[in-house]
Amino acid sequence: MANVRLESIKKAYGTIEILRNIDLTIDHGEFVVFVGPSGSGKSTLLRMIGGLEPISGGRLFIDHELVNDIDAADRNLGMVFQSYALYPHMTVRENLAFPLRMAKASKAEIAAKLAKIASLLQIDHLLDRKPRQLSGGQRQRVAIGRAIMREPKVFLFDEPLSNLDTELRVQMRVQIAKLHKQLGNTMIYVTHDQVEAMTMADKIVVLKDGNIEQVGSPHDLYHNPASRFVAGFIGSPKMNFLGGKVVAAHEQGLHVRLEAGSTISVPVQPDQMLVGKPVTVGIRPDDFCSPAPEQQEISIGLEVDFVEHLGSVTYIYGNVGDETVVARAPKSGSRKGAGKLTLTAAPADCHLFMSNGKAVRRLQAPATWS
Amino acid sequence: MRFNRSTPASLFLNLLIVACTLILTFPLVWIVMMSVKQQAEVMTWPPRFIFTPTFENFRVLFDAAHAGATSYGTIKVDFLTPITNSVVISLCAVLVSLVAGVPAGYVLARRDIPMKEDIAFFILGFRFAPALLVVIPLFSVFQTIGLYDTYFGMIWVYQVVTLPMIIWLSRSYIEDIPKDVEEAAAMDGAKPFRVVWHIVLPLLKPGLIGASLLIFLLAWHNFALGLILSSTKAPVTVALLKLLNPGVQFYPVMAAGLVVTMIVPVVLIILGQRHLERGLTFGAVK
Repeated sequence: MANVRLESIKKAYGTIEILRNIDLTIDHGEFVVFVGPSGSGKSTLLRMIGGLEPISGGRLFIDHELVNDIDAADRNLGMVFQSYALYPHMTVRENLAFPLRMAKASKAEIAAKLAKIASLLQIDHLLDRKPRQLSGGQRQRVAIGRAIMREPKVFLFDEPLSNLDTELRVQMRVQIAKLHKQLGNTMIYVTHDQVEAMTMADKIVVLKDGNIEQVGSPHDLYHNPASRFVAGFIGSPKMNFLGGKVVAAHEQGLHVRLEAGSTISVPVQPDQMLVGKPVTVGIRPDDFCSPAPEQQEISIGLEVDFVEHLGSVTYIYGNVGDETVVARAPKSGSRKGAGKLTLTAAPADCHLFMSNGKAVRRLQAPATWS
Repeated sequence: MRFNRSTPASLFLNLLIVACTLILTFPLVWIVMMSVKQQAEVMTWPPRFIFTPTFENFRVLFDAAHAGATSYGTIKVDFLTPITNSVVISLCAVLVSLVAGVPAGYVLARRDIPMKEDIAFFILGFRFAPALLVVIPLFSVFQTIGLYDTYFGMIWVYQVVTLPMIIWLSRSYIEDIPKDVEEAAAMDGAKPFRVVWHIVLPLLKPGLIGASLLIFLLAWHNFALGLILSSTKAPVTVALLKLLNPGVQFYPVMAAGLVVTMIVPVVLIILGQRHLERGLTFGAVK
């Protein structure tokens, strides 16, 4: 059972704090993605788990063992780097064999392992090439293969797909997810790409400025973001934010007057304290539906700026008051240019954030799928 | 890239190259010619370009049995010893520098140590110091502690020439090796020593071959250290000077000595041209 536990882990360079009191538990077999903008400390955190970066404070346990002062070489982890970091002077075969050679495995064992992993990753035909003779995707597969060879307790991925083109990235994403299913190991994956996080993770850890902003399943993060930051970071296109003010609280939620004019009722925890306070209403582009289908709804007037046809979906960009808003256009009908449009959304799909960025708890969170 | 130049301009540039080549090769050709002339022919004016070459001068250099008897007098030369000295001293100096300098370069490139840049600059500073500055105080020290005129002492003192260069070159080569590669090796279970042995050194090899050649040549040409700190263990550069000494000057024999001295670097440069260029520009372009 290779779980990873972080207890108030800190990282500081001199007086500059990179990570502050990170507490996190990663269970055996979990696929955890660290996601966040650049400078959020996600790579540093991964490197600290890997043993490549000294830990300034707190305790790190891998497999129930305190590893703060254990060398990277002795932690028995596998890591895939953004640059692949293949050994340029060795052939693919030698690259793959290296971890086992370091572990003083027998030649027969190395050969057997090598054959198995080469066929698993479809790199059998590349074994005698040098890394510089490989394409980006092939290098990536070799790097993954090298990390698997030693059957490490935990796999660490440091933005492994960011050097690949879009198509290959999607392929590799699927391949890594499959690999996780096959091997069942604990995997920790760092990315700044929220799509990768959403599609691959069992658990997403959103980092911002050296703090954990939220930990949860992709579904959780999407439907119940704990803060405006998470709401804006997860989901594409970004969630729309509209400024407003709470005018009243009632049983089913809060009445909010939008800066753009209309008053809407949002089904969130009705907190009397919030009455009179400025808030932000968040609505995802995909949650707008126009024309309106059912019951009680929120409607917002949109000044259309331009329309983006992506084939399967069409996004309408425009302004509500001073704020830019993106909305998914309904399937039927096609819009070309500017004009006025009324957007409607179900109140249950709205999010509400306080002025400090924290979310007000929603009353009708959508049920989990699966 | 292609540049189109006017005909007069390219003619001028070509002439410039020819002129440079002539200026550079003239002394070499002159010395080679001198080395196969007789003593009497060397002095004639105007110089003669057509003559019967003789290898007498080369024989004199190495022919201890006949004690340097020539058709135009007798000189006592023992050229084999200084050649051997130079080979031993230069080769060992480079090897010692590699053993000491590559780890030092690694530390300067990779580890965070206090005053790193100052240390690096201090080491480089030895390259700026005139050799005589080091040598004169060393003379009495060497005599006192018994290092004067020993291989050990010479190899040691040659580090002034070779070590800073090796440290600086290997530092810059190591900085060009992506850190990721070393970290990947650590993740793969390699301890720091094995990372260096299995990953860093093999990647460094082409650069180090070039650097060693370059530094061997620096050591080979050194003159001041050997002049003051040795006599029987003097390198070939010092031995050449001694050929000028005895009243009568045997210019052709000296020219032959020069040719022999030059052959070593010339052969090395030709053999190692590829590595030498690599050593000078290693890592400059990925």
